[in-house]
Amino acid sequence: MNAIEITNLSKQYGKILALDHMDLSVPEGMIYGIVGSNGAGKSTLIKAMVGSLRPTSGATKVLGLDPLKEKWELRKQIGYMPQSPALYDDLTAIENILFFGKAQSINNIEKVTDEILSFTELTTRANDKVGTFSGGMKKRVSLCCAMVHNPKILFLDEPTAAIDPHLKILLWQLFRKLAQSGVTIFLSTHQMDEVLLCDKVTILSNGKVLATDTPQKLIELGKTKLTLTINGIEKSTTIGSTPQNLASELQKSGLDPLISSVAIQTENIEEIILSIMNHREEGNKR
Amino acid sequence: MNHMIIIAQRVLTQLKGDRRFLTLYFIAPVLIIYFLKLLIDTLPHFVPVVNIAMPICAFIVHFLSFILCAILLIQERTRGTLERMLIAGYPKTSIIGGYTLGYFGLATLQSLIAFTESIWLFHLNYSFGTILYMFIVIWLLSVVSVMLGIFISTFAKHEAHVLPFIPLIILPSVFLTGLIIDSDKLPLWAEWLGDCLPIHYAINILNEINHADYQVIDTLADFAILIGYIFGLLFLASFTLKETE
Repeated sequence: MNAIEITNLSKQYGKILALDHMDLSVPEGMIYGIVGSNGAGKSTLIKAMVGSLRPTSGATKVLGLDPLKEKWELRKQIGYMPQSPALYDDLTAIENILFFGKAQSINNIEKVTDEILSFTELTTRANDKVGTFSGGMKKRVSLCCAMVHNPKILFLDEPTAAIDPHLKILLWQLFRKLAQSGVTIFLSTHQMDEVLLCDKVTILSNGKVLATDTPQKLIELGKTKLTLTINGIEKSTTIGSTPQNLASELQKSGLDPLISSVAIQTENIEEIILSIMNHREEGNKR
Repeated sequence: MNHMIIIAQRVLTQLKGDRRFLTLYFIAPVLIIYFLKLLIDTLPHFVPVVNIAMPICAFIVHFLSFILCAILLIQERTRGTLERMLIAGYPKTSIIGGYTLGYFGLATLQSLIAFTESIWLFHLNYSFGTILYMFIVIWLLSVVSVMLGIFISTFAKHEAHVLPFIPLIILPSVFLTGLIIDSDKLPLWAEWLGDCLPIHYAINILNEINHADYQVIDTLADFAILIGYIFGLLFLASFTLKETE
C-alpha cells in the first residue's frame, strides 16, 4: 500500500499556480525527497498533505485518509516539521516536546520524550530554553516535536536548510534510523546533494513534477559513457570519471600510450537536475 | 477541556519567562495611571476626580489587554506555532479557550493592580461593596479586551495588521463612549456607534456606582452586555480562526 497517493492536485493563489495538476505515489517505509528551487511548490505540497492547505482541485490521500475530511484520524498518525523551527523560545526543549506531544494521547509521554531526546543527542540540553539554542539544535527539537507521538509518516519541510555539514550528517543518520524502523519520511530540500540520501526523488519546478526516480537512476543519467566506433562497429563503455580512466580505456583501442590522461567534463547531480529543469521549462515555453 | 488546560498552562509558563511582556502588561498601566494622577493634580479642584479616575483606569486596562493579547496570538501565527498546534491535533476551539483561560488569570491580576493603585493614588473613599462592584466591572472589561484581542488577531497575518484596529476600535472608545463627555450629547448615530463598543457599558456602570442611591439592579443590563461580549467574541473567534490556507 502506498503511504501517500496524490492525484491531479492543484493549488491556485490568485494568478499563481503553486501546484499544477500533480500526481505522486509514495510507498510506505521509504525516505522520499522532493527537490526543487525556492518557490517550486515544495512547502505548498507538504501543507496540502498535512491538511493545512485547501487545494483548488485534485485528491490527496495520506495513509488512505483525506487530510481535510479525516483530519483528526490522520493527525494521530503523522508528524510535521515545518521549515521554520516553530517552537516556543521561552520554553525549554522538554517543555516544547511535551506540549506538542500532549495534543495526542501518548502513554508514558515523559519516558518517550527522554528517549527521543537521547535519540537526537539533546539530553544534556533538555532543560535549557530553546531561545538559547543554535539553528541546528532547534531543528533537532523541532524533529522531536514532530515524532514524539510515534507517527507512521513524518513530513519534514527543508529539515537541513541553514545548518552546518556536521549536523546535516547527524540529521540524515536520524532519518535513516527512523526509516529503518518503518516510518515513512517525506521531506523537501533545495540542496541537490541530498537527493543521493533519499530512496526516491521527485523533481519539482513551478508546481510541476518534472521527474520521479531513484537517486541511482538519476546519477546514471550523468555517468561518463564512452562510445567508440571501430571499423563501423560501435562499442559503448561506461567508465570512471578520472582523466586516467579515460586514457587507459582509449589505449585499449589504440591511443598512443604516451597520452596518459584525457580530461572530460562530467555533470554532477546538481547540474543534472538543473539541466532537467531547464530542459523541461524550455519545452513548456515552446 | 484537557487540551484547553494544557494550552493555558503553556501560555502561562511561556509568559512567565517573557519579561518584556510582563513589564508591559503590569508595569505600564501602573505608570500610565501615575501620569494620569499628575495630570489630574493640575486640574481645578471643582473637577470631580471620582468621575474621571475610574473610567480612565478602565480604558487603560482595556487598551493594554487588547493590544498585548492580539499581538501575542499573532506571533503564534508568524512563528508557525499556531499551524503546528493545529496539525499536532489541538482543536481550534481548545486553542482559543486555552488562550482565554491563560489570559484570564493575567487579566485579573492586571485589573487588580490598576484598580488598587487608582483607589490609593486618587484617595477614593468608597465602601467595600462599591469597591467590589468597581473591581468586577474593570475585571469584566479586561476579560472582554482579551477576547477582543483574540478575535481581532484572527484577521491579522502579522503584528502590524493590529495597528489599524487601534483607530477603528480603541480611539472611538475615548470619544464616543462617555469616557470624556456624556455620550447623550453626541449626535444619535455617534451615540449608537459608541453603544457598540464594550467599554461604553463599563463606563455606564462606573458612573452609576458613584450615585449615592446606586443599586446593582440599575446596571444589570450593562453587566449582562459585558458578559455577552465575552461569549459573543469567543464564539466569533472560533469561526474566524482559519485552520487552512
